[in-house]
Amino acid sequence: MKTRYSPRSYIELWSWLFAALTLFVLLAGAVLLLKDSVLVWKHEGTEILTGKEWFYRSETFGAAAMIYGTLIVAVLALLIAAPLGIGAAICTVEYLPARWRMVIKTMIEMLAGIPSVVYGLLGILILRNWIYQLFEDFEILSGDTLLTAGILLGVMILPTVMTLADDALSGVARAQRIAARGLGLNATDTIFSVSLPQALPGLIAALLLALGRAMGETIAVFLVIGRQDNQWPGELFSLRPLVESGQTLSSKLGGAEINIAYGQPLHWSAMVGLSFLLLLLVVGLTLLGLWIREHSKHTSYDK
Amino acid sequence: MTNREKSHTKNPSKSDSKSRRKRRLIHELMRLFTGFCVLLSCCLLLGIVSFIVIRGLGALSVDFLTGVMAEVGASGGILYQLLGTLLLLLTAAVVVIPLALGCALVQSVFLTREAHRRNITLVLYLLNGVPSIVFGIVGMIVFVQWFGWGKSWLAGGILLGLMILPTVCVTLIERIQAVPKKYIEAARGLGLSRAQTIRSVILPQSIGGLFTGLLLGLARAAGETAPIMFTATIFSGATLPSGVKESPVLSLPYHIFILAQDSYDPATKAKLWGSALVLIFLVFLLSLLALPARLRIHEEANHL
Repeated sequence: MKTRYSPRSYIELWSWLFAALTLFVLLAGAVLLLKDSVLVWKHEGTEILTGKEWFYRSETFGAAAMIYGTLIVAVLALLIAAPLGIGAAICTVEYLPARWRMVIKTMIEMLAGIPSVVYGLLGILILRNWIYQLFEDFEILSGDTLLTAGILLGVMILPTVMTLADDALSGVARAQRIAARGLGLNATDTIFSVSLPQALPGLIAALLLALGRAMGETIAVFLVIGRQDNQWPGELFSLRPLVESGQTLSSKLGGAEINIAYGQPLHWSAMVGLSFLLLLLVVGLTLLGLWIREHSKHTSYDK
Repeated sequence: MTNREKSHTKNPSKSDSKSRRKRRLIHELMRLFTGFCVLLSCCLLLGIVSFIVIRGLGALSVDFLTGVMAEVGASGGILYQLLGTLLLLLTAAVVVIPLALGCALVQSVFLTREAHRRNITLVLYLLNGVPSIVFGIVGMIVFVQWFGWGKSWLAGGILLGLMILPTVCVTLIERIQAVPKKYIEAARGLGLSRAQTIRSVILPQSIGGLFTGLLLGLARAAGETAPIMFTATIFSGATLPSGVKESPVLSLPYHIFILAQDSYDPATKAKLWGSALVLIFLVFLLSLLALPARLRIHEEANHL
């Protein structure tokens, strides 16, 4: 279809201008993060990833303990949110009538709307005490633990998992379900042999996107994690660190240290470096999730 | 013939009823489990909301909404916190509207190659995934360090606007793509130029998407603390800004954030729950306003 239009129309000019502005601003943001953290890359090299110690007074900047904290907390959150969210999505898509689905979807999206600072408040005033009472026998120092942060984050990313899983499941063609039911399968057989296998890439993408969201969440985690630096676990696979305080990349960035670092080139670049690492982690997970989802769309049409 | 098939043919009724019972059991268990998941999720929402309402309702009064904070949050109200948050939201809306319109029109109207369109969508999704604290750090580099603004409401508004850009833009794009093809074809058939088609057909049909997206985005922006904590907002000692440089505002999320960290005083706690209630009321109000339009879209999508 060949169309002629005035290339000088203001609307078009204006749209391109603002779209270009957006792209420019985003690129500039990423470049600035990289530029401002050059000092620490030169200073630490790969040590920033593997170094277990972060002492800004002696200019030692190792982020391994924070990366560990970020991963543990995010995975804990996913362990809670994944079964709950996917289970709820299966129920709304496969078992409940469509009218109910909208009601529940709306409710869950309201849950997503609660600001993270309010979740943090609930964590600090309620969940923290529960955790402390529950694990008192383990002689834990306070209720500010990785576990607390993980549980809180699990509730926070539940709507993300549920909404995306719902999208993935409801994307499975109705005709396929009807055919399965016609062959004598009941609703549950249909789920296991038709819906879940077809929606699997979408579900994996949902989990990855939710994991990214969990890693980037700052405020709620900041309030309940204790913000203890250098908590590298003695044994990597013991459960003990879960009930101790820790630090994540985001909780570090949200803290007062950013104000101390401001004005000291190396320390500041180390903090900016942390945010660059966080950005890389989250963007990587998001890209992977989106890629899996896109990829699956093309293959499912072929069948 | 394999063993299994043999036994099947020998005694069909027995093994049949056995497998049927097993299937039935799995079916019931699955329904129970997923139903439990839905119930638990909904109970979480109701529990959290009713908890905050019960705790916060006591603090709520006209004086609380129109009074000025005193005694480090232990008495007085949250007038300037509320006004500050509203100012940030207004700024974010003003920033995001032209950007979202531009990006959405470029994505869905002006770009003709599918690959290019998909790239714009990808950028929007990635932007949506960027952690809010990273916006805060970049904002600090740009506005505090580079522009020398110190803490400024304008910096916070711009950052929040950029943060909600994907929400607004994607909602708008969906609406533009939902405009029936025949409307556009008819407009072109009548001899309208592309710009005229946009002005008289596409935009009137889809402008609702801009407002829906804006409401959803602002609902998210209202509760964000991380992007504004280093760039725009302080805990006390500010009223309404009169300039741009060194003119911070108070804001509700930051107010809650600071008080939450060291509030063992019952009077402060009561005020704290009150502030949380006002904040989630604001957020729910914004997303409820957007709800009717979204439900309509869903219904249309289901009818197709």
